[in-house]
Amino acid sequence: MSGLVRVTIDGRTVEVPAGTLVTDAARAAEVHVPIFCSHQKLPPLGACRICVVEVGLPKLGPDRKPVVGADGLPDIQWMPKVQTGCTTPVSDGMHVRTRTEVATAARKGVMEFLLVNHPLDCPVCDEGGECQLQDLAFAFGHDYSRMDEAKRTFDSEDLGPIVKKEANRCIVCMRCVRYCDEVMGENALTAHQRGVFTEISSFDRQPLACEQCGNCVEVCPVGALTALPYRFKARPWDLRQHITICEWCSNGCSVRLGVRGMEILRARGTEFRGVNQEYLCVRGRFGHDWVNAPDRLTTPLVKTGAALEPATRDAAVAWAAARLRDIAATHGPESIAFLGGEKLNLEEQYLFQKLARGVLGTPHVDARTRQTAAVPGASLRRAIGAGRRPLTFDAIHEAQEVLVLFDDLQGEAPFAQAAIVRGFRQRGLHVTVAHPRRVKLARPRFEGDWLAVRPGAELSLVLALTRAALELGVPEGTPSDVAHAFESLRSSLAAGADTGVPQAAIDAAARRMREAGRKALLFGRGVLEHPQAAALLQAIENLAWALGAITAESTSVMAFGAHHDSAGAIEMGLTPDLLPGGIAATDAAGRAAFEKPFGRLPQGEGMATRDILAAAAAGKVRALWIASDDLLASAADRALVEQALERCELVIVNELFLTRTAARAHVVFPVAAFAEKEGSTLDSELRLQRSNRALSPRPGSKPDWEVFQEVARALGAEWRYRTAEDVFREIARVVPGYNGLSFATLLPNGGWASGAPAAPHIVAVTPPAEASAAKPRAMALLAGGTLFADGSLSKRSGTLSKLAGAPRARLSPAEASRLGLDAGDRVELTGPAGTLSLPLELDDSVPAGAVFVPYAGAELNRLGAPSGAGLRVDLQRAAAPATVER
Amino acid sequence: MSTGPLLFKDIDTPGLRAIDTYRKGGGYETLAATLNKTTADQVIEVVKASGLRGRGGAGFPTGLKWSFVPKASPKPRYIVCNADESEPGTFKDRELMEKNPHLLIEGMIIAGYAIGSGLGYIYLRGEFEYIQHIIDKAIAEARAAGLLGENVAGSGYRFDLHTHLGAGAYICGEETALLSSLEGYRGQPRLKPPFPAVEGLYACPTVVNNTETLMCVPHIIKNGAAWYRQWGTEKSAGTKVFSVSGPVKRPGNYEVPLGYSMKQLIEKDCGGMVEGLKLKAVIPGGSSVPLLPAADLDTPLDYESMNAKGTFLGSGGVIVIDDQTCIVDALWNVTRFYEHESCGKCTPCREGTYWMAEVFERLENGHGKDTDIDLLASVADNILGKSFCALGDAAAMPVQGALKHFRDEFEYHVTHKSCRVNRRRAEVAEVRA
Amino acid sequence: MSHGTVMPVAGGPATLAWSEKAKAEVAEALARYPVKRSAVLPVLWIAQREWGWLPTAALKLVAESVGLPEAEVYGIATFYTMFNMKPVGRHHLQVCMTLSCSLMGADRLFKHLEKKLGVGHGETTADGRFTLRRVECLAACGGGPCLQVGFDYHENLDERKVDALLEKLK
Repeated sequence: MSGLVRVTIDGRTVEVPAGTLVTDAARAAEVHVPIFCSHQKLPPLGACRICVVEVGLPKLGPDRKPVVGADGLPDIQWMPKVQTGCTTPVSDGMHVRTRTEVATAARKGVMEFLLVNHPLDCPVCDEGGECQLQDLAFAFGHDYSRMDEAKRTFDSEDLGPIVKKEANRCIVCMRCVRYCDEVMGENALTAHQRGVFTEISSFDRQPLACEQCGNCVEVCPVGALTALPYRFKARPWDLRQHITICEWCSNGCSVRLGVRGMEILRARGTEFRGVNQEYLCVRGRFGHDWVNAPDRLTTPLVKTGAALEPATRDAAVAWAAARLRDIAATHGPESIAFLGGEKLNLEEQYLFQKLARGVLGTPHVDARTRQTAAVPGASLRRAIGAGRRPLTFDAIHEAQEVLVLFDDLQGEAPFAQAAIVRGFRQRGLHVTVAHPRRVKLARPRFEGDWLAVRPGAELSLVLALTRAALELGVPEGTPSDVAHAFESLRSSLAAGADTGVPQAAIDAAARRMREAGRKALLFGRGVLEHPQAAALLQAIENLAWALGAITAESTSVMAFGAHHDSAGAIEMGLTPDLLPGGIAATDAAGRAAFEKPFGRLPQGEGMATRDILAAAAAGKVRALWIASDDLLASAADRALVEQALERCELVIVNELFLTRTAARAHVVFPVAAFAEKEGSTLDSELRLQRSNRALSPRPGSKPDWEVFQEVARALGAEWRYRTAEDVFREIARVVPGYNGLSFATLLPNGGWASGAPAAPHIVAVTPPAEASAAKPRAMALLAGGTLFADGSLSKRSGTLSKLAGAPRARLSPAEASRLGLDAGDRVELTGPAGTLSLPLELDDSVPAGAVFVPYAGAELNRLGAPSGAGLRVDLQRAAAPATVER
Repeated sequence: MSTGPLLFKDIDTPGLRAIDTYRKGGGYETLAATLNKTTADQVIEVVKASGLRGRGGAGFPTGLKWSFVPKASPKPRYIVCNADESEPGTFKDRELMEKNPHLLIEGMIIAGYAIGSGLGYIYLRGEFEYIQHIIDKAIAEARAAGLLGENVAGSGYRFDLHTHLGAGAYICGEETALLSSLEGYRGQPRLKPPFPAVEGLYACPTVVNNTETLMCVPHIIKNGAAWYRQWGTEKSAGTKVFSVSGPVKRPGNYEVPLGYSMKQLIEKDCGGMVEGLKLKAVIPGGSSVPLLPAADLDTPLDYESMNAKGTFLGSGGVIVIDDQTCIVDALWNVTRFYEHESCGKCTPCREGTYWMAEVFERLENGHGKDTDIDLLASVADNILGKSFCALGDAAAMPVQGALKHFRDEFEYHVTHKSCRVNRRRAEVAEVRA
Repeated sequence: MSHGTVMPVAGGPATLAWSEKAKAEVAEALARYPVKRSAVLPVLWIAQREWGWLPTAALKLVAESVGLPEAEVYGIATFYTMFNMKPVGRHHLQVCMTLSCSLMGADRLFKHLEKKLGVGHGETTADGRFTLRRVECLAACGGGPCLQVGFDYHENLDERKVDALLEKLK
């Protein structure tokens, strides 16, 4: 069989792809060859030597055929020296011996050397119990020590708030340095000196000014690097460890939570499972401490009179149901609307809309509360080419060309960023980043291209890229209807719009994407929360087809939603225009699948968030159910939310904490955190993954889906789900594309729904005329998620809050100087909706004429938009000290 | 005065560093002739036929190494001179470059031509900064004379040459570590395969040759392979420069035909031991090779004869050890060298050299245990063949050689807690603590 | 022998800039290689020539000049023994201690220098005149004991000759 070779390891013969390393082939043959410096994400190093084995090749006769001995087996010529298995690719007919006297002695010798200077720190070392050196010393080492000399020692040091370094324990495997270089692209760690005095540290031992991901700690096979937040807290055998899907971003990393009693003590990667394996970002690794926060909600609250009072669950459910029934009866089902849900699991999202549509009969369902403009869920599905062979993170890593539109992946999708960095470092991936700021991936060290788009010109840039792509003709294999649509599209694409990007750069970017066999087109909140989001998504759909990034069979487009199950919200129909499975609410045939399971379905499409809020403010919508969303903090139009909450007769909220929005509700249901419930989620690849429960819900709280069921039953629905899996079974039965899936099939690396491909819809986009205000505000406001500060939940993590520090506005040094401002000065930003006062920080990634405010606890909707996209503000030195409202 | 029939012949000609003087003696004529009349393949064939072997220590056949450069590769090729000369006991390249830089330049251009290279580097150890000035001056003269640059000697061949200064690391004499350092990384060796001839500097085909090797090339091309073979043996052809050090009357660089008697070299050419001392042992090829006892003094200085005696010709750094020097002390010194120079990449060398040095310190200072001797042997054995590069072997083999021939001195240390002999005992004890 | 930690580079200015001459040398160095980072050793030498040692600010400047991350330049600089990570005296006395020189009396010579200057290995005299260090083989084995002062070789030394040499080194 072409491409496969046979290798015999300790007498076991396996067939593996040509080029497989001996250590990996050994795994396939179920022979354990120990490793330290070898790592699946890093090229072979051969430094630690623990994987030494005997390697032999068949003797070849003059006819170049293996010489066969008397026993009928090929004569093997054994190499005179042992070889490191991790650097030796197998060749056909190779033999490997790992347990002979020679191999064993060599390995024991290496193990002995590893323990020469390694201190007997086990009793005080956090790695104890899950230490590769302990395990392998036990398995492969001597049971005595001959080393009587004084050991070389180093001072221990804290490399910042996250990483503790005990250099005495280091075995110089260099995994930490290489991982930080090749996967993270941070190059924060380095080796000082050489020989036995080699010491891993930072530049001049300064605190690590890096992404604080802690992956160095994760990949360290000994206790040389350990995590300060977890220091001395527990032993691994104290912990129950469960793999759940991280709650932070849409990348869907698998997190192995370590729980003791009712407390999450730490989080680690999963080594071989999930999309991320060992990788986690700082949020995934250190950001879960909010789950343990003392101010988690534990009792339902009901405002029958003037204030919210604790109530029993039954009472709260009954009251909520009664009020809902009343309002539906008096004012019709359409006077009830359901908001939020991007943070829920798939099952909860499904039940949320089933409660809305099936039980109450309202079509007004929208999870996307952050968006400035209403965007049909269908247009997002088309823009990402949903229903086709998807773009995976592995494919991004293997891409030749990646185009990132208007997102800083460092804050929005850190794992996707790492896939790109590693692709660049190991495979020559080329990245083009379109962003007003010089974000990390646009920095020179990644040798990509930066399209420094003028804030506000995002749509023009997408149109210009499309035009440039179509100048190259239509991609091969484009379906004829799309090709035909392109013909009319071309004429609508005018040249020379002022995007801030030179035409040559636009042309080159389009050409590179077109010519790449493997490519990826990525976007996220910078598009989804843009005031022109609808036009942008249509333009991106056009662009994707024009670049060959969407074809009939596959897609190379990925969108990063705001939350960990934003994709699920769309796919489970938490949008006014879509039912679950991407079925249009107006599709008569498609609706039929849901009529029976739901009982009934409201006609037509519902309203989107903005219209729902406007209707609530106007008294037309009288009841709002908000699922785990602090609308006041995150919605685009804060004033509108205020009015809506004020006016609504009934506001029901599912929440983890008593947020300001929850405080204005009539009923508050305390809900379980992500780690406290079973369920499934869709990541930005649209991979369906199962999330396990790691600990029991906080007493008094319940998974959201149980809340929905209780209210549904109180409203007379005959729901009888006992577990989240029961809900999933219904999804598998009812939702097109999910048939045949089950919880069992989702382990270990998830599964894929198989819906019909979203049909292309290529139409021209007219950029809205730029609002010519009489006196346009001076500066463009840029915002975005950052690693340490991403919305209200990150403020509740002690670790993340400390890393984020106080909210700040950022100007480039040149711009600050021009305005006569210094770092630390207080500035006042004034937008269409209000003002914010923040201290100033200097940041050279920010262009002239713009101010950057990360979502670091500063509520940007006070200015007029949560993401800042398309927003202009005035900036001046603050008059007098003011407190920043939280 | 250093003597020899080839490289050291006329090396002390006054002003030889200047291009005019060099040319007056026939310098650069071979270059011009070769570029205009001989093909690259022919050059390789001559060098192959000459039997020239790498003079830095490995002794790999030079012509064969050149022929490994893939002809069809579209990548640029590089010729690199390993002038890192850090093997203890070796100081030949220093004198050769200091006195006759143009011969190195001529050799490099011809070698570059042979492998299709347009750019060469001379990697000098950091301590040779003054030699860098000398060579840079010579390079400037060569450029001005049209012997480097766009059109070498009017032949249309393009070649340029730069010096590159290291900064104190013996490991950078290992060819892949040298390339690593030249590329701008910590000087740690790299995996082989791929070999530098296929993937070397900047992952392009690269030949790394020792200074002395490259300086032989113009002579070989000028006079032919058979002429070169007038010296040496069948398998060890030509001449080699041996650096002799230790308490002999006339230490220095001696260029002799390979196969020359080591006894003759030391007793005749170097005048034998200084007054009052007798020869106890000799390290024939730099500190990385096992020592030979006095009984093996009359071993021919060629690769095969040394191998037959269980050691190596190596770099040709002949270190003479006298009978008033403690072998344990001498090996402690050598082991500490490898501990200091270990790059730290691989476990056996990094930890093993440290361990051995610690054991040696105890032994030498009178705290030896009877398990120490077997321990040293065992540790050396666990390093040998298990390390990432030859530095580990270089640390292990001398210890094995000393234990083989002078085990009694080690045993004396254990039983008597002191050296049997050590004329430098007092000063060594305090300084090494 | 047992303690390996290199303390952080102490002192030195917050930022440094190349002199015009050094800037030209840096440009020349970069031009000699097809890949920028190959110039890191020559540029480190240029920095050390400028300031006598490599303060943090110099390392940052080198990193910027060759386009390398700062941490990596730090790791490269500390790998090699000849880069001074702390200030050195006007005359850097490096005594070879490897076998051939040792056989010829290097240990005694070093002890003499320690006593005479009142400093040990790696230390600088109070008046900033001399820094004394033990180093490994300098490729002067036939002329041992050997002392390298800065880049200058002095061979066949004994106590009397070295005293005379030090006299001349102001």
